[in-house]
Amino acid sequence: MADTPASEPARVEILVEARALSKSYGHTRAAREVSFQLARGEILGFLGPNGAGKSTTLKMVTGILQPDAGTASVDGIDILEDPLEARRRFGYLPESLPLYWEMQVEEYLRFIARARGLEPARATARIDTVIDQLDLGRMRRRTTGALSKGFRQRVGIAQALLHDPPVLILDEPTNGLDPQQIVEIRALLRELARERAILFSTHILQEIAAICSRIMVIHQGRKIADGSPDELAAEETESPWRVLAAGGSPLGESARDALRLGEPTGTAERRSYPAGAEVPDLPAIEREVAAVGGRVVSCERARPSLEEVYLRLTGGPATVGATASEGESGA
Amino acid sequence: MSGTLAIYRRELKAYFDTPIAAIFIAILVGLLSYFLFKDSLFFVRERAEMRIFFRQIPAVLMVFAPVITMRLWADEYRVGTAEILGSLPISTRSLVLGKYLAALTVLAAALVCTIGVPISIARLGEPDWGPIIGGYIGSFLLGSFFIALGCWTSSLSENQVISMLIAVLVGVIFTFILTPRLAAVIAGESATLARAVEGLGVTSHFDSIERGVLALRDVSYFLLGTLFFLTLNAFQVESRRV
Repeated sequence: MADTPASEPARVEILVEARALSKSYGHTRAAREVSFQLARGEILGFLGPNGAGKSTTLKMVTGILQPDAGTASVDGIDILEDPLEARRRFGYLPESLPLYWEMQVEEYLRFIARARGLEPARATARIDTVIDQLDLGRMRRRTTGALSKGFRQRVGIAQALLHDPPVLILDEPTNGLDPQQIVEIRALLRELARERAILFSTHILQEIAAICSRIMVIHQGRKIADGSPDELAAEETESPWRVLAAGGSPLGESARDALRLGEPTGTAERRSYPAGAEVPDLPAIEREVAAVGGRVVSCERARPSLEEVYLRLTGGPATVGATASEGESGA
Repeated sequence: MSGTLAIYRRELKAYFDTPIAAIFIAILVGLLSYFLFKDSLFFVRERAEMRIFFRQIPAVLMVFAPVITMRLWADEYRVGTAEILGSLPISTRSLVLGKYLAALTVLAAALVCTIGVPISIARLGEPDWGPIIGGYIGSFLLGSFFIALGCWTSSLSENQVISMLIAVLVGVIFTFILTPRLAAVIAGESATLARAVEGLGVTSHFDSIERGVLALRDVSYFLLGTLFFLTLNAFQVESRRV
């Protein structure tokens, strides 16, 4: 697959590879031939509206869901051929944050450590490490059912990290966290990604912009974009130039026509002239603007925001900054 | 193996941390003791034996084994914890086995708690220990059968009550329909069918063990039945991945 960024192919260590994963529920095609690669050090954000097929794809990568076609490998181990060995190579946080509510935090983590076959001494050391990393020290003896959603989420991430896996697969990891917690979890993920590959899903755009080195947009079960945030924005070749001017009166119609500028918008302090896709004649514009008593503040290509890219790709609005946590249909 | 053990320990702790195991044991001991002593037959007959006690076992276990098992899988699917289980490096077989063994342990603990009954009987008279030991072995094997059945039905639904009702329904077929009595009725029509009815039901096998006769045929019936339902359980868990 030629989906990875073209930087130093020899040095890239692919930890996750999905090959044409497909899944249908009845007549609904939840995932259609989704392929991607993920290298060590990368944080890949799965972006898409609710029900786009993000959770389905993640579940197929983990083997929790059997694909109708295609396969995935984690750290070189095929999830269908050797599922148990593959499961040792990743930690997984499900979307709905399911824990055994009657268990205490430390007790729960010890259960996971045992179930993952960690030696008792190593288990104790790792439990201490993840409790420290996720700041769960005060919650050690609390039952998980008595925790706030933010702390439950941290227990879920702790559980995924316990065996120190090279790959983390997180379904909506910051769902339900307050802003302070979100900032902390993002910082933790960035830190963890240095030695790992992290794959996570979200329907929140800021999330992607904040921590991802790569974005994959999923829409109606299909991968419709894959690249760094800058690469995706740069694909917008049609994006027009824009001239910002301050002060003075607006340019007359004949002057604008000569300079190929459109009708200005904004106030006298900040007039914005759309300038089309061709590079504008800046010295001429500066002269004309000065002639009407103003000055040119900037002339730049309007760089599309991630929101604009996303909207163009999916043809629908994203949940921007929402904390909604509706479940994905069919996931 | 470490996976089975981890699951077993967690489930067992869940049973004893919540009142489930305690309530189950209290009901089982109370109910069986009630049948034995309140039913004046025991005193009327003035015989130091536990037949009346063991005669109630199939019906009691048929209803109460699913009470222990109903949450085992249904709750994992309802809460979603099955997703994390599915991401652990534990085979489906180990998961199934760990849960089954935990439920079986609760049942065994309940049977151990009825030990007061034979001790009381021994103080009242000179019991024949063969049928009593046979009765306990039979109860354990029968319990294993119903526990495995309950494990399977628990994996069929996210609703504990539904999974329990299915288990009781299937249990009724094995306990009250596939009986020697029905076999006798249809024996005239088809001897083969009558043998099948008697051989498939739990009653004839339990009765013969409870009489103190530990035949390979009866022991293997319960063990194969257990294996059969646990296999169905594993298939059901696997099919949830699809």
